[in-house]
Amino acid sequence: MAATDASAASGLGGPRLTGEDSARSLDRSRVHDARRQRRRWRLVWLLVGPGILAMLGENDGPSMIAYASDGAQYGLGFFVPFIPLLFAMAFVCQEMCMRIGAVTHRGYGELVLQRYGKAWGWFGAGDLTLTNLVTLVAEFVSIRVGLAYFHLGAGVAVGLGLALVAFTISGGRYWRWERIVLGMALFNGLFLLAAILVKPDVGAIAGSLDFSPFPGGSFNTLLLLLASTIGATVTPWMIFFQQSASADKGMTPRDINHGRYDTAIGAVLAAIFGIGALVAGAALLTHNGSGIEGFAGAGFPEALRHVAGSAAGAVFALGLIEAGAVAILTISASTAYAAGECVGVSHSFNSSPRSAALFYAANVGVALLAAMVILIPGAPLLSIALNANVLATVLLPVSLVLMLMLANDKGLMGRWANRRSTNVIGVAVIAFVGLCGAAYGIDSFLQTTHIIGS
Amino acid sequence: MKSAAPLIKDAPKLPGVGEQALPADAVLDDELIMDLERDQFVDATSQPVPRAALSTSALVGLWALRVFVVLVSMMVIYTFFDKLH
Repeated sequence: MAATDASAASGLGGPRLTGEDSARSLDRSRVHDARRQRRRWRLVWLLVGPGILAMLGENDGPSMIAYASDGAQYGLGFFVPFIPLLFAMAFVCQEMCMRIGAVTHRGYGELVLQRYGKAWGWFGAGDLTLTNLVTLVAEFVSIRVGLAYFHLGAGVAVGLGLALVAFTISGGRYWRWERIVLGMALFNGLFLLAAILVKPDVGAIAGSLDFSPFPGGSFNTLLLLLASTIGATVTPWMIFFQQSASADKGMTPRDINHGRYDTAIGAVLAAIFGIGALVAGAALLTHNGSGIEGFAGAGFPEALRHVAGSAAGAVFALGLIEAGAVAILTISASTAYAAGECVGVSHSFNSSPRSAALFYAANVGVALLAAMVILIPGAPLLSIALNANVLATVLLPVSLVLMLMLANDKGLMGRWANRRSTNVIGVAVIAFVGLCGAAYGIDSFLQTTHIIGS
Repeated sequence: MKSAAPLIKDAPKLPGVGEQALPADAVLDDELIMDLERDQFVDATSQPVPRAALSTSALVGLWALRVFVVLVSMMVIYTFFDKLH
């Protein structure tokens, strides 16, 4: 839509009105109507979105494979309570992003760049692009693994992923994009169905809530488990995505409570579905995790089929396709938001492709680039998929620190700045994530270079 | 970190338009304007927020963390390529 100047035309002296403003106003009018009419559930329905998408988007292909691998190699103990703990940590971080987006109406990338200088903005965007590219490759791998179960190849995976990106961004409206992806994300529940289909011992699940037995193996293996599981829960793209999406959705400080419900619902659903993948994977425990090593050739769903029947294998394969597809959409969107924000051009699903060319080009371009990687013959897809979460964990602390600084910036946040209790938890989360990532990185490097023995 | 007066205030609304005679095609847009806060408009959000004055210790801390993270990332990437072989 072309920019108009309706307020100037009417002599009110208001701001210049663009097509993006008009589209956002339409969404906001529904929110105001629901609030005026005291329609609580309608208001919840209208305001949920960014939080659920960030959380279920993070229950992506590599994450679900990581949870299932944890289950297959170590069983339920430790991980059943650990996954909800990690999503509680993710809630603390994502709530801050939502709050900053709702109060400032700006994305993470542009706020960091403007408030703390271009270097920090571009560092953040660089980290994001690197981790997003690696993660997107892993998402295409995940779709490929799922499709391989149904005897479909890499070309179909690439076509499906790119077609979904093109379809969802074609409407020129944030609302349309959000609702389509939200509808798809609910199929993350397939992992819960897979868990039910393997007929788990409910008593064993309940009995594992005491964090025991602790996973065995070497110190490095434990660190890898921690780093990859953390990377399956809190990542840089989630920070960029939820803050930008909250601003794009048009959320305001009045919506912060609903933004918290949205984030909490997302965290609870993601934890339940993540445990679903863990439980499904644990069905392979008695088979010593057989089959998972070959998952690049559809080994995981296939191994599950042998142990728990074809329905369980098929549902798990469909879950992997869904997890990869939703993550491709949300991660591409986070890259597009970051590109637009850092360059300083239009960055909204409410803008037309003509007025936000970079935003749309980045959205499609990053997905296209990742798709091309999985078509390279002999590319180390399995290794990329397994290391995507670890790299995200290692790079995360800087993003988290800057996010904490923004949330404490009273000049920006006013009375919505962080409370002391939020800061204490936030600092603890950053320290935990930083220590686990750094310990794994350093320990692995020292072993690889034979400075210490394995 | 030093902070100035709040830049984002409590949802200031645009002036009402009810009393004014508007062109027919402007009515819809003006009704829509009423559903956005003034600082939500593209016009407002395209204005950069002022740069924060970070203390020396904050800057040193941030750069130290940045360098540390880059070093660890390089270790992870080195390990990744080494394991490929």
